[in-house]
Amino acid sequence: METTTGKVKYVFSAIFVLISHLAMLTNMFYNGNCDPSNMNKFVILAITVIGLDILYFIAMLFFKQSTYTIDFMLIFILNISLIFQSSFGGISLSVKHLVTCIASLISCRLGFILCRNHKWIQAKKKAFYIATGIIMLCILTLTGSRSMWIDLGFFTIQPSEFLKPAFILVCTTYILEQQNKISVWKFNIVPENLICTGFIILICGLQWWCRDLGSLPTFVAIYLCGLCARLCYPKAKLSKKMIITGIASLAVLAITAIILAPPYVKSRLFVDIWNDTSGDGYQQSQALIAIANGGWFGKGAGNGDLHNIFAYETDLVFASICEEWGLFFAIMVVCAILIMLASPLVNPPRSYFHATLATGVCSAFVVQMALNIFGSCNMIPFTGVTVPFISQGGSSMVTCGFMMGMLIAGQSPVFKNPTNNKKKKVKSK
Amino acid sequence: MKSIKRSLRLVSIIVFAFIAGMIMLVLKIQKEASFYISHSNTAQLGFVYDRNGEILFDSKATPETYGENYFIDVGNLIGDAKGQMTNTLVANNIEKLNNYSFSMGLVSKDGKSSIHTSLDHYANRKVYDSFGTSKGCAVAYDYKTGEILVCTSLPSFDVTKGYADIENFETGTLISKVMYGTVPGSTQKVSTLLSAFQIMGKDKLFSKSYTCNGIYMNKGGNEIVCHNSYGHGTQNIQQAFQNSCNPFFAQLVEDDDMPLENIIKCYEKMGYAVNDDKEQYFDINGIKCERASTTLKDSYEFNTQWGCIGQGETLVSPMQLMMWQSGIANQTGKMTMPYLIKYTTNVENEIGDWAETSYSEEVFTPESSTEVRQIMLENGKNYSESISGYNIGIKSGTAQIKDGEEENSLLVGFIEDERHPIAFCVLLENKNNSDTRSENIVKTMLDALCQ
Repeated sequence: METTTGKVKYVFSAIFVLISHLAMLTNMFYNGNCDPSNMNKFVILAITVIGLDILYFIAMLFFKQSTYTIDFMLIFILNISLIFQSSFGGISLSVKHLVTCIASLISCRLGFILCRNHKWIQAKKKAFYIATGIIMLCILTLTGSRSMWIDLGFFTIQPSEFLKPAFILVCTTYILEQQNKISVWKFNIVPENLICTGFIILICGLQWWCRDLGSLPTFVAIYLCGLCARLCYPKAKLSKKMIITGIASLAVLAITAIILAPPYVKSRLFVDIWNDTSGDGYQQSQALIAIANGGWFGKGAGNGDLHNIFAYETDLVFASICEEWGLFFAIMVVCAILIMLASPLVNPPRSYFHATLATGVCSAFVVQMALNIFGSCNMIPFTGVTVPFISQGGSSMVTCGFMMGMLIAGQSPVFKNPTNNKKKKVKSK
Repeated sequence: MKSIKRSLRLVSIIVFAFIAGMIMLVLKIQKEASFYISHSNTAQLGFVYDRNGEILFDSKATPETYGENYFIDVGNLIGDAKGQMTNTLVANNIEKLNNYSFSMGLVSKDGKSSIHTSLDHYANRKVYDSFGTSKGCAVAYDYKTGEILVCTSLPSFDVTKGYADIENFETGTLISKVMYGTVPGSTQKVSTLLSAFQIMGKDKLFSKSYTCNGIYMNKGGNEIVCHNSYGHGTQNIQQAFQNSCNPFFAQLVEDDDMPLENIIKCYEKMGYAVNDDKEQYFDINGIKCERASTTLKDSYEFNTQWGCIGQGETLVSPMQLMMWQSGIANQTGKMTMPYLIKYTTNVENEIGDWAETSYSEEVFTPESSTEVRQIMLENGKNYSESISGYNIGIKSGTAQIKDGEEENSLLVGFIEDERHPIAFCVLLENKNNSDTRSENIVKTMLDALCQ
């Protein structure tokens, strides 16, 4: 941001975000359920949204980065999300969501600070193995075999959400690590890859145990992307035979999982929602009806009916947006998230480590979005996961923010060798 | 740098796969939105019309607005949107009636979504009334085009009154019997005759003659009883068909020139599910219609012969009996496929779903259909008084049901008339306790349609 062009870009981006949010609020004012009786609520919401924008723009000035694309996209999406969550079924600021949005922004900064120096973080890899192990232990001991929540009384935590960034860090790698091979029988194996595989097996078992099968595809996607990133390195050529074997193995695994799946999972996999609109197909059928009701441009903020259905603000959030704001707007928001995820294509990560990090974050976000959106629209089985940044949920918002911080770190990295720093300190003494 | 690029390629693949999924989702929503809305409580449904523009379904109809029992003749065929009846035109085409489009949303007042059927409400009502207090069903269609003109089933009910009195509804009130299998009686002999022509050929079949003494002891040692206890004497196929002689057809089935496997092949080609317990259906504008079924195990066995005569385990829907008539009347051996929906209009009054005449594959040979047509027309001359004014090809049947306690009367046939090419099937239940005759119903139907 030191250059004049950088400052101009910064100001224009800030104006763009502000105008977008003002446009949404104007739309809400004219088309939404905004009668004089709840004008106060609308004004509070508007002030909160614009205030949060401005505060974040100011806060960003304290962070020196090569690019601020993701930061602007993040505040853009988070405030859109706040407007959505404050409009479902009636306009009123969702304080809970506001708090989680702020928590998400803070955790984003934490993720950025933690991951920007890949040499430092690689040196601390063992600590991440331990952290991942601790989270898994928490899930094992604190959630119970039929639950995915830890109830702290005043709020609940979903530890499996925290496992996602931790596992992404476990799956990241760097060049030296991949060159460290040991020979087992006739195979040259990278020990780190074995550890990753061990972790995914343990995670799958754990998720199965606590019946949080909805998150399983996300972990598997993170692992597979990590594995692909490893296979792509160095100059690995994927033969057709290898690709076919890989796909066939995955297919066999998927079929085996379906066969071995417990009855409640099978019933979800093969449910005909329109023949069971009051049973297993209730949520999805209501979601699809809501989408149809909304059409291209929605019924207006606060005019929807889906808020009467359980999980309208989490698992069915895409349908809730479609109903009140329209399919067009919902797609635009999904595109905004995609643009944020695809930003590494424009601002490439500066190291192989950060590239694998970006792959992991991207896969986690996309799989989660796909599971939620396609699941609630009955294209795939309904699993009940959240749309990153859009669905309500503290654990999800905080971890998504952290993962975004990881992505920013890849675009504004620092390359300091931790061991060299120590030496310098010794010398200065 | 190369490894970074490769990782980014992976990001591109993931993002593009998701975009592809989103495109599919948007297309799916666009295509199915009307269907979703039809399942909601807020759906605004349009009208169903008959061929002359008379309303057959109005979701807001009350007995006061249309008069009591106005829709009773089509109650269990057109149905309603209340979900009690699932095999009706409205239930299976509800999204076509939806006054909704994804871009316009729900249109409550000026929506033009509608279904225009081929039914003739006037004729349908006449036929319904002609049953009097009796029960049964009647169906007629244009065997050249496939347009269903009459389709009524009794008992029926007034859909505008709803289901408050459902506990007192008689059995069969909520279904159109036209679509469900019934014992065909001697109308089954049309199928057996068609098979015989195909297996033996015209000359051999006409050269065959068998004697009826009222009761025939078949080769399996079972009695096949004729409705004429004095017997019909020695007859050829033409006479036996006209006499509807059971012993003749039993002897025909056990004739060495009529191997059972060939009969089975002919039956299966016609659409029978032979020796198969599984219920099978075909589709008429979304309405499920039961496929014919029978059990044929051994030529000398009583049940097999009885099945070929049209009793026992043979079940055929009146719709399918009528469809075979089209293949006979057209002399093509191909059934004209029936349809109810002529066209639909969407919420903006744009016409769509135009019906087109279609035909089945050849279900029997054109030669056999020509011969059977001639025999049926000859038989029709016996009805020149009861169904006067028409050059009619016809076959009657009496189906024994409830272990012979009740008898249903059936009539299937067609009229030879270029302007009114009509094939029909009428089922009159418990004919012995009925105050009407199936011939009267056919006469009423043809008069109403050909007026």
